Amino acid sequence: MTTNQKITDTPINFAEEIIANVKNTKDDGVLKCVQCGLCTSTCPAARHSEYNPREIIERVLEGDETIIAEDYLWNCFYCYTCHSVCPVGNSVCEVNQILKQFAINQGIGWDKLYEYLGFADSYFDAAIGAIPEIFFDDIAKDVPGWEEIRFDKLDENRDKLNLYPPLMPPEDVIDEVSLILTITGFKERMENIRKSQEAEVEK
Amino acid sequence: MKNIPDKNLLLFRSCLVSVEYPGIESSTKYVFEKLGIDYGISEKQTCCTGLGHYSDVFDQVSTTAIGARNFKVAQNLGRPNLVMMCATCYAINKKSVKLLNNKDDLREEINELFEENGLDHLKYEKNDLTPTENIFHFVDILYGKKDEIKKHVKYDLSQYKIATHHGCHYCKVHYEDTIAGVRDPNIIDELIEACGCKTIGWYDHKRASCGTGFRQRYSNPDLSFTATADKMKSLKDENVEILVHLCPNCHIQFDRYQPLISQREGREFKAIHLNISQFIAIAMGADWESVVGVQAHTSKIDSVITELKEVES
Repeated sequence: MTTNQKITDTPINFAEEIIANVKNTKDDGVLKCVQCGLCTSTCPAARHSEYNPREIIERVLEGDETIIAEDYLWNCFYCYTCHSVCPVGNSVCEVNQILKQFAINQGIGWDKLYEYLGFADSYFDAAIGAIPEIFFDDIAKDVPGWEEIRFDKLDENRDKLNLYPPLMPPEDVIDEVSLILTITGFKERMENIRKSQEAEVEK
Repeated sequence: MKNIPDKNLLLFRSCLVSVEYPGIESSTKYVFEKLGIDYGISEKQTCCTGLGHYSDVFDQVSTTAIGARNFKVAQNLGRPNLVMMCATCYAINKKSVKLLNNKDDLREEINELFEENGLDHLKYEKNDLTPTENIFHFVDILYGKKDEIKKHVKYDLSQYKIATHHGCHYCKVHYEDTIAGVRDPNIIDELIEACGCKTIGWYDHKRASCGTGFRQRYSNPDLSFTATADKMKSLKDENVEILVHLCPNCHIQFDRYQPLISQREGREFKAIHLNISQFIAIAMGADWESVVGVQAHTSKIDSVITELKEVES
């Protein structure tokens, strides 16, 4: 006999793992969910896609750990609307971010992160946050005049506005930031993701 | 009402403001100077990790360690009041202060990493900063000076139809600290009122997200632009001419993508988009090119604001 049973004998363990995560600021809010659905009714991703924050918590409370592999998790806007309206003080937005970190730690969703490694590189190498270059062609196609404003005229514009200090942080700041991102394990995680995804492409 | 400081501020530079709408920074400085607010800017402060954090690339420990370094930069300058120009910087930094104060394990983990790697000078002591007393968005600071703003207004912009868009990462993340409403947000409306203008107030979708959704805009553009269109259609129904923002993420979404969303929806959206600091700077008489930085905008400001009439005294 086959079974579709996903519920474990100790469903609450999964919720407890979420509660213990560093990102969680809502204590045991997830356990207080009454499935009222206010989150789903105010969610922009639920309005326009199959994303369903109420269902995420339902599955978490059932101990259904397969949820971390759901593609729809990646539709969350991180707008925190659910977080701000929840009557029992839960935050599906935070739970979502925690589930994604669980996924990433298990090697899931690395293809989704790969596109954003440009941000990591810019931060590691230059201590600057930047939209990844991989998206520049799309932006240039969608936004008339963007390349001129963003690249050709930026220095001239910043000079005109008399902005100081310059965009580029000093060398000692970059070195300190790179060191921090090395000792937290960030650099290694990024390189593992890069290697695995580039190996996928070669296959 | 929380205590709003007007001195020892570190104006926290934003990566998006710096390269997309640098006029937001110069306008904020201009308005702060008019109001006698004591602020500084540091070349040592780095990005909050913003898009990196909310694309799930940055883990919380890395983001918070970067935050701890920036908090130390502010403290060493004697400017422990961090003031953000971007709603996402506000959300991320405030969360990092809360975590560092409340989660002993995390604080100790980060401090140990610093200690073992010659970064002792970055160590964070519990309650070095407090989320409510030290972490602000500049709209909070301006709100504390509302009555003062009135005295510096030179131009009357009240003939335009004005609406506001309140960034989610200002209103909804640390909602217990948000001034003037979360589900019915009004802080920008009140600042516009201080300039002698009335906004349209509530409109359908007023509290909704701009639709950027971080990775949604780049990796899932249909979802992103559909959410933005909800709001643009509602603003069009109200014939809004000026939409006023407090976050560069939202500003990009509305200003840069307005022509594309017009095409997608088969309706012509023609509003202009100003940050609240730019709006106040214009009302105070700032130069459009050398302070407000209108040349970086996609939807041209002079397509709506065609003349400036002086306030009758």
